[in-house]
Amino acid sequence: MLTVALPKGRIAKETLEIFEQIFGSQFAFDDRKLILETENFRFLLVRNQDVATYVHRQAADIGVVGLDTLEEQGLDVVRLLDLRKGVCKVAIGMKKGEKLDLTKPELKVATKMVNITKRYFEQRAVSVDIIKLYGSIELAPLVGLADMIVDIVETGTTMKQNGLEVVEDIMESSTYLIANKNSYIAKKDEILSIYEKIRDVVKNG
Amino acid sequence: MILEHEIPQGSKLYFGKSAKLKRHIEKVASDVLYDNGFEEIVTPIFSYHQHHSIADEKELIRINDEKNHNISLRADSTVDVVRLIQKRLGRNTAQKKWFYIQPVVTYPTNEQYQVGVESVGSDDLAEVLGLCMEILQKLELHPLLQLSNIKIPRILVEMFDELTLDDFRHINIDKILSLDEEWLTKLVYLQHVEQLDEVLALAPKEIQVELAKLKALASKLKYDHVVLAPMYYAKMLYYHELFFRVIDANEVLARGGEYEVDAQTSVGFAIYSDELVEKIGKNNG
Repeated sequence: MLTVALPKGRIAKETLEIFEQIFGSQFAFDDRKLILETENFRFLLVRNQDVATYVHRQAADIGVVGLDTLEEQGLDVVRLLDLRKGVCKVAIGMKKGEKLDLTKPELKVATKMVNITKRYFEQRAVSVDIIKLYGSIELAPLVGLADMIVDIVETGTTMKQNGLEVVEDIMESSTYLIANKNSYIAKKDEILSIYEKIRDVVKNG
Repeated sequence: MILEHEIPQGSKLYFGKSAKLKRHIEKVASDVLYDNGFEEIVTPIFSYHQHHSIADEKELIRINDEKNHNISLRADSTVDVVRLIQKRLGRNTAQKKWFYIQPVVTYPTNEQYQVGVESVGSDDLAEVLGLCMEILQKLELHPLLQLSNIKIPRILVEMFDELTLDDFRHINIDKILSLDEEWLTKLVYLQHVEQLDEVLALAPKEIQVELAKLKALASKLKYDHVVLAPMYYAKMLYYHELFFRVIDANEVLARGGEYEVDAQTSVGFAIYSDELVEKIGKNNG
């Protein structure tokens, strides 16, 4: 029996569709239920940012989570497979027409992803003031709270609508199948079996 | 503000039942070890040599001695025990089998109680591993024993330009499998001792040698709950070949292996008392 942590929303739906394709039966949560029990799997519906924590602490053996969230949290889990879903970028956005000038002192960067941002600027030996925000990141440069933002970009529409544009990509992201390290050791047969099946679906999809 | 009842995060407090259980674990361990020719040693909590055994020096709690030399609080006992036996007590005793029951501390305020065992100058890992499992069985536990050989990922990194040690640290199997080598794929899937011969028949000589060591160790064990993890890699400064972990769900109950200090091979292990107190406490309700 494997416990699988899924992030609420589109990714959970897409992942369950993969399981349906593999096993030929229906995998669906009952209304508002957070646990789905099947013969060989127990699915947990959790918040996207909590998936890696559930897996890291072995409340779940495996899970599905975005690479950006994994990189941000830095939890030690096994990255089994790139599912090539939820493809997006973590990018730097600035007001339209402005150019990224890393030589400027006292740069202010607003972001939800403090660790990714910190690492990016540290690697370039640029000292920045990182402002942690929890949402509406695009607002920060418009009201003078920050010079730039670091945020997830899928199509770039939200930035465009708010008069911002991408000036640099930091990383590409997509959803990953992850596993707990001890679960991988103890339940290798089961984990590699589902890994193979999901990999085949992803390859053929 | 620090409230009157607070203790620093990561520090340990045992009382009543849990303190009794901790003492019981230490008693069971010391009885087994005395019966097998080991003697106890208690080493200083202050050390000059901790940077030799801790991979990340930032984990050390550092202070200075009276001449302003750097010293650290003991974050690992092994290197200090072996060095003290060899360099300081060499003329006082011929004893090579030692155990210690003392905590280690890491930055900022983490404490870890453990029972440690070192068989200085021995390369018989099966002997100390057998003792480790005997202690755990006497504590009525039947955890999973993982056998690994850290040389295997190191050799693979030498063999394949595409691979780095980080691929093994993060168990990046997709990348390893994409190399499309039959023996390497079988090595990824290797979990049970019975599967070993199949991989041994296909693997290149260098890998065969290291797998054979795993097989020899497994064959000497009188324990049935065992898995092989030949590609397991963790940041460890001194285990250089065979090593083992004893795991229960998400916890590591014990860890040991073969290591080298001052060009001398020794074997040893540590049993983590805090995890055992929690586990046995839960089992007892």
